[in-house]
Amino acid sequence: MKSRRLIFQILLVLILIAIGGTMMVIGRGHTVYFDNKSLDYQGSTYASPYKIEIYQGSSAEGDALSKLYDGERASATQIGQKITVTLVITQEKGGDEADPVTYTIDLPYNMDGPIINLPAYLAGLPEEAYLSEFIPVITEDPDEEVPTGGDDMSLGDF
Amino acid sequence: MDRTDMEKTLENRDLMARFSFAARFGLPRTIIAGFVLLLFIMAPIVGADLTMQIGNVINRFSWNAVLVLAMVPMIHSGCSLNFGIPLGIIAGLLGGTLSIQLGFTGPVSFFMAILLATPFALLAGGGYGWLLNRIKGGEMMIATYVGLSSIAFMCMMWLLLPYTSPTMVWGLAGKGLRTTISLTGFYEKALANFLAIPIDPANGLYFPTGTILFFAVLALAVWAFFRTKTGTAMTAVGSNPLFARASGINVDRMRLLSVVMSTWLGAVGILVYQQGFGFMQLYMAPNNMTLPTVAAILIGGAAVNKASIAHVIIGTILYQSVVTLTPTVMTAMIHMDVSEVVRIIISNGMILYALTRKVKGGSK
Amino acid sequence: MMRKEHAKLNPKRLLQDNSVPLMFVVICLICLPLAGYSPSYLLNELVTRMGRNTFLILSLLIPIMAGMGLNFGMTLGAMAGEIALILVADWQIWGIPGIVLAMIVSIPISILLGVFCGNMLNKAKGREMITSYFISFFMNGVYQLVVLFMMGPIIPIMHATLKLPRGYGIRNTVSLLNMRQQLDNLLAINVGGVKIPVLTFLIIGVLCLVIIWFRRTKLGQDMRAVAQDMEVARDAGINVDRTRIIAIVMSTVMAGFGMIIYLQNLGNFPTYNAHVQIGTFSIAALLVGGASVEKASIGNAFLGVILFHMMFILAPETGTTITGDSMIGEYFRTFVSYGVITVALIMYETKKRMIKSQTGHLLALAQKEEEERAK
Repeated sequence: MKSRRLIFQILLVLILIAIGGTMMVIGRGHTVYFDNKSLDYQGSTYASPYKIEIYQGSSAEGDALSKLYDGERASATQIGQKITVTLVITQEKGGDEADPVTYTIDLPYNMDGPIINLPAYLAGLPEEAYLSEFIPVITEDPDEEVPTGGDDMSLGDF
Repeated sequence: MDRTDMEKTLENRDLMARFSFAARFGLPRTIIAGFVLLLFIMAPIVGADLTMQIGNVINRFSWNAVLVLAMVPMIHSGCSLNFGIPLGIIAGLLGGTLSIQLGFTGPVSFFMAILLATPFALLAGGGYGWLLNRIKGGEMMIATYVGLSSIAFMCMMWLLLPYTSPTMVWGLAGKGLRTTISLTGFYEKALANFLAIPIDPANGLYFPTGTILFFAVLALAVWAFFRTKTGTAMTAVGSNPLFARASGINVDRMRLLSVVMSTWLGAVGILVYQQGFGFMQLYMAPNNMTLPTVAAILIGGAAVNKASIAHVIIGTILYQSVVTLTPTVMTAMIHMDVSEVVRIIISNGMILYALTRKVKGGSK
Repeated sequence: MMRKEHAKLNPKRLLQDNSVPLMFVVICLICLPLAGYSPSYLLNELVTRMGRNTFLILSLLIPIMAGMGLNFGMTLGAMAGEIALILVADWQIWGIPGIVLAMIVSIPISILLGVFCGNMLNKAKGREMITSYFISFFMNGVYQLVVLFMMGPIIPIMHATLKLPRGYGIRNTVSLLNMRQQLDNLLAINVGGVKIPVLTFLIIGVLCLVIIWFRRTKLGQDMRAVAQDMEVARDAGINVDRTRIIAIVMSTVMAGFGMIIYLQNLGNFPTYNAHVQIGTFSIAALLVGGASVEKASIGNAFLGVILFHMMFILAPETGTTITGDSMIGEYFRTFVSYGVITVALIMYETKKRMIKSQTGHLLALAQKEEEERAK
C-alpha cells in the first residue's frame, strides 16, 4: 500500500517535470527581427530587393506584418522554436510582385531577439550568415528607486 | 544503551549546563544580543563613529521606551501582547493635533497634548477593554484587527475633521490634515532639551536627560503600581484567573483597568516619540509602530504572559541598537543595505518565537 | 438536523446569520446611484474581478475545514507564485505555457513554505490565526531577502530588464506583458459588451469540484474530525499534526496558483507589495460572503467575491461624490475590509465562549441530577 503510494507520488512528480519541460520548449518566446539590408558574406554581396511584404503564417492573406523597403527592419513575436512567414518580394521599383512564398525559419532557443537578414536567408546562406542577435540597449533611468521593502500596508487595489 | 551513547548523552548534558544561561535567556534573545555585540565591535572597525552610534541608540531608546512600557500592564493582566496599541497612538495623535489646533506652543503644548489625549485614551481604552473582556482567549487576533480598523477609520477622520491650523492642514485645500506635521515651534524636543548633556554638539547629538527622566518616572510609577494592592491583584488575574476569581478579585475590572492603562501609556508614548522625532505622522503611520514595540519587549525577555520593566529597558536598547547599527555596519561590511530586511525578520521572528513557545501555567 | 431546520424556519435567525452579506447588499445599493457607473462597465469590472480573485479566495476553504481558522499564511503561496513568475519571465517562456510552467515551479516552493507554516501552527495550537498572520510578515522579510539580494548573484537572473541597475535584486515592477490575460482571452466570449473569461471560470469550476470531492475522501473526513476535536481524532488513530500540515500545504499551493491567475490578469506586478494585502482582502471577501472562522462554503466564496468587489469598485467614486475627496473612498474600503474581519473574529470568539459556558452549565446540571438520583 505504502510503496504503491510512493510510486504514484514519484509518477506525479515526473509527470509535472515532463509538463514543465514541454512548456519550456513550446513556450519559449522570441522577438524576431527581419532586416531587408544587403549583406557582405565571404567576399560576395547579397543585394536587398526593393520591397518585401511579410505576412506571419503560411499565407499572404490578411494584414501584412510589415512592408519592408530597402534597409528597413520589422519585428514579430513568436512562441516556439520556429517562425513561419510568407514573403511577397518586389525586386525593382515599379516591378511586378512575385508570388507569395512560405518559409519556416528555425529560431535558436537561447536567443531572445534573433535578427534575420532576409536577402542572405533567401540566398540560401548558412545560419551563421543570416542570423545575428539583437541586444537591446537599456536606457537606465538614473534615479530608478532601489526598493527598500518595509512592511507598511499599502492601500492598493485588489 | 552502549557506552558511546551514554557518553554522548552526558556530553550533551554538559553542553546544556554550560549553555544554561542561553537556555534561561532564550535562544533567539541570545542570538540577537550576540548580534548587537558583534555590531558594536564591528562599528569602529568598519569606520563608523562609535560615540555617535551609541548616542543615536540612546536617543532612539528615549523616543521608544514609553511605547514599549505600554505593553506591560496588559501582559500582566493576561490580555497578551497589545497588538491594539494603535488605539492608544490614535488617542495620542488626537491630543497632539488638538493641542496645536488650540494654539499651544513650546513645551506647554506637550503637556497639553498629554492632557487632551487622556480623555480619548480613557474612552478608547475603556471600550477596547470591554471588548477584550468579552472575547477572552482570542485577544491578540482581535486586538490586531481592532488596531487596523481604527487606523483606517481615523484615516477618514483626519481628512474630515474640521481642523484649521495652517501648520497642520493641506495648504492648497485648506482642510484635511497633512500626512507629516513638523513639530518645530511646538513640542519638538520638549523633554529632550531639559538638562540635555552634549555628546557631539557638532552633529546635534545630545543626551536627552529630560526624556530619560520622564520615562524613568513613568516606569517607576508602573513598577510601584504593581506593588500596590490593585497591582498585585492585576498580576494575580494574569497568572491564574480562576484562583484570582476564587479569592474575590473582580477579574473583568482588573483587565479593563490594565487595558486603559496600556492605552493611556500608548498615547503618552507616541507623544514622547514625536517630541524626539520632531514630526507627527498621521494616516497609516501608527501601524508602523506596533511591530517595533511588540518585538522590543519580546526581545527584552518578556513572554506572552510575563513582562517587567527590565524587559522594557533591555528590549528597547537591543532593538534600537539593531535598527541604528545595521544600516551603517552591515552596509560597510557587505556593501548591501540589508538593514530593513534584517529588521523585519528579527522583529517578526521574535513574535513567532513567543507565539509558538509553550506557555507555562497561567491562562492561555 | 433539527437545529438546521429550525434555523431555516426562523426568519430572525436567518437574518442574524446572514447579517454581514445583507449589510453589504445595503452598502452597495446606497453606493450604486451615487457612483453613477453604467451597468455594462460595472458588470465588466465585476466579471473580471471574479475571474481574477475567486481562485485565491477558494484557497482559504481547506484550512477552515481542518479547524485552523482563516489562513493568513496564504500570503506564502502568493509569494511562491510571484517567485515562480519572476523566474519564468526571466526564462522568457510566454503565453499559456509560461503560466502553466509558473504554476509547476510554484508547487515545490509552496510545499516548502506550507510545511514550514504548518509546523509552526502545530506548535501554536489554539492561536493559529495570529501565528499565521505573523508568519506571513516574517516570510515577507525572507521574500525580500531572496528577491532583493539573492536574485542575481545566487539565483541566476539573465535579463537586465528584470534586474536593478546595481546588478542584483529585482526591479520594483515585473512586467508580464507576454502572458498578460492569456488565460482570460483563450476561449473568452463576449456577451453584450461583457467579456467573460470562460477558461478562467472553468479552472475555478474544476477547483470547486476538487474541493467538493476532497471533502468526501478519507483525508477530508480526517480534517473535519480534527476540526471537531483534536483529542478525539487522535484517539481514533488520526495523525493530527500531519493532517493539519497537509491542510496548510494544500491551501498554500492553491494560493500560489491563485496568485498566478490573479497576476496574469493584471499583466504586471509590484515586486515587493503585490502580496502584502492579498491575505486581508481575500479573507475579507470570504467573510463578506457569509463565512465564519469555522465554517465556509464555496457559495460563501462566490457571494463574497461579488459583494466585496462591488463595494471595492463603488467606494472610491461614491466617496468622491459625497466628500469631493477620492481618498475618502479608498480609506473607507480599507476600513470596511478590516472592519468585516474584526466583526467576524469577535462573533467567532463570543460564540466560542457562549458554547463553552453552555456546556459548562449543562455539565453542572447533569452532575446535580446525578447527585439527586444518588440520594
